[in-house]
Amino acid sequence: MTDATVEASNLSKSFGDKQVLQDMSFGVSPGDVIGVLGKNGAGKTTLLELMLGFTPPSAGAVRVFGHDSYSLPGDIKVRVGFVPQQDELLDQLTVGDQLRVIASFYPHWDSALIDRLCGEWGVNVHARIKSMSVGERQKLSILLAFGHKPELLILDEPVASLDPIARRQFLEQLLTISADGERSIVFSSHIVSDIERLANRIWILKEGRLDWQGDLDSLKESIVRLHIRSTAPELPAFKIPGVLNLRRDGAFATAVVRDWTPEAQETLEKNASVQIEVETLGLEEIFVELHR
Amino acid sequence: MFILNPQSGVPIYRQILEQVRRMVASGQLPPGTALPSVRDLALRHTINPMTISRAYSILETEGLLERHRGRPMTVASQARNHSQLPKRLQQIGPLVEQTVVAAKQLHLSEAELLKDIRREWEQNDD
Repeated sequence: MTDATVEASNLSKSFGDKQVLQDMSFGVSPGDVIGVLGKNGAGKTTLLELMLGFTPPSAGAVRVFGHDSYSLPGDIKVRVGFVPQQDELLDQLTVGDQLRVIASFYPHWDSALIDRLCGEWGVNVHARIKSMSVGERQKLSILLAFGHKPELLILDEPVASLDPIARRQFLEQLLTISADGERSIVFSSHIVSDIERLANRIWILKEGRLDWQGDLDSLKESIVRLHIRSTAPELPAFKIPGVLNLRRDGAFATAVVRDWTPEAQETLEKNASVQIEVETLGLEEIFVELHR
Repeated sequence: MFILNPQSGVPIYRQILEQVRRMVASGQLPPGTALPSVRDLALRHTINPMTISRAYSILETEGLLERHRGRPMTVASQARNHSQLPKRLQQIGPLVEQTVVAAKQLHLSEAELLKDIRREWEQNDD
């Protein structure tokens, strides 16, 4: 795994005696679009900041392009782009000035791309930043992270203030970036439907741990709701592996399970003599079930 | 070409698999038909390209699609023969089961259900 974009092993972070992240191991490969989900306070922002090297880990390590993230050399830093939750724009500047300031840090700044996106997204380069709405500021911070064509793009709740049309334009641009299969994107969002479109992999954070990580496709295949019925008036006693929630009601039961497979269904139907109907769940539903 | 719903519990690659299999089996996609590129589909539907490549690769392994260098994938020339009757019946199995369960819950008789299916079938012929 020498060409991994990001590699973390047993990563932990505490602030004082408060443990925020615990024992996380994960990888990001070129072409990955990773959707990071978690309740408020689950540790999403801290996780992204560790990858960016804003703060050192308390234990374990995270490496970006093969280098320890907390001491990234300058030529590696320029390969990373970041859109923070709170923008860091300079109020007294105009959009054009702010773009020029950031562009000056990067030798490979793509001003043709940024000019085109300013037009498509309706960002007025002459506007003064302090007079812009939250949504307009968000668009600009996204543009600032796109211009140097980073190979690793990290976004922390980038679209909370964008309207559905602006969000869709942003998603389309992210897809264009990822379509060459060489660049990686990690983004956290509470807008589950965006993650469902964009991500191929999902990280679900729960109380500072990586509760689930894997392909979105596999997630939808392994976490399902079962509708179980018995031909007898009462359901027999049975055990379902990986059950999250179970409700029995006479001859019926519903259960949400993780790690579901067709084989598990066969075994259960045979051993407990029940009939099972499998209901697949959307990502939002899965997220909620994992937190019940 | 495809009807894709990212919010569905059915993963997108499975939605593509099922639709291509059905359209090939029914002859709606005759051998030689070009499929949209992964990139085009991803941008048109705003969905991750990897789930589409995954579907295309599975369909290629199944012999339903053929890959060509520098050109779009096409429906394989033997595709229709690959899909024999038992396999096609197996594909529609879950829909039949769902329909029968729903009919029983509605206290419809077998004859009433069959009559309805026949009417739908004939309407669909024109």
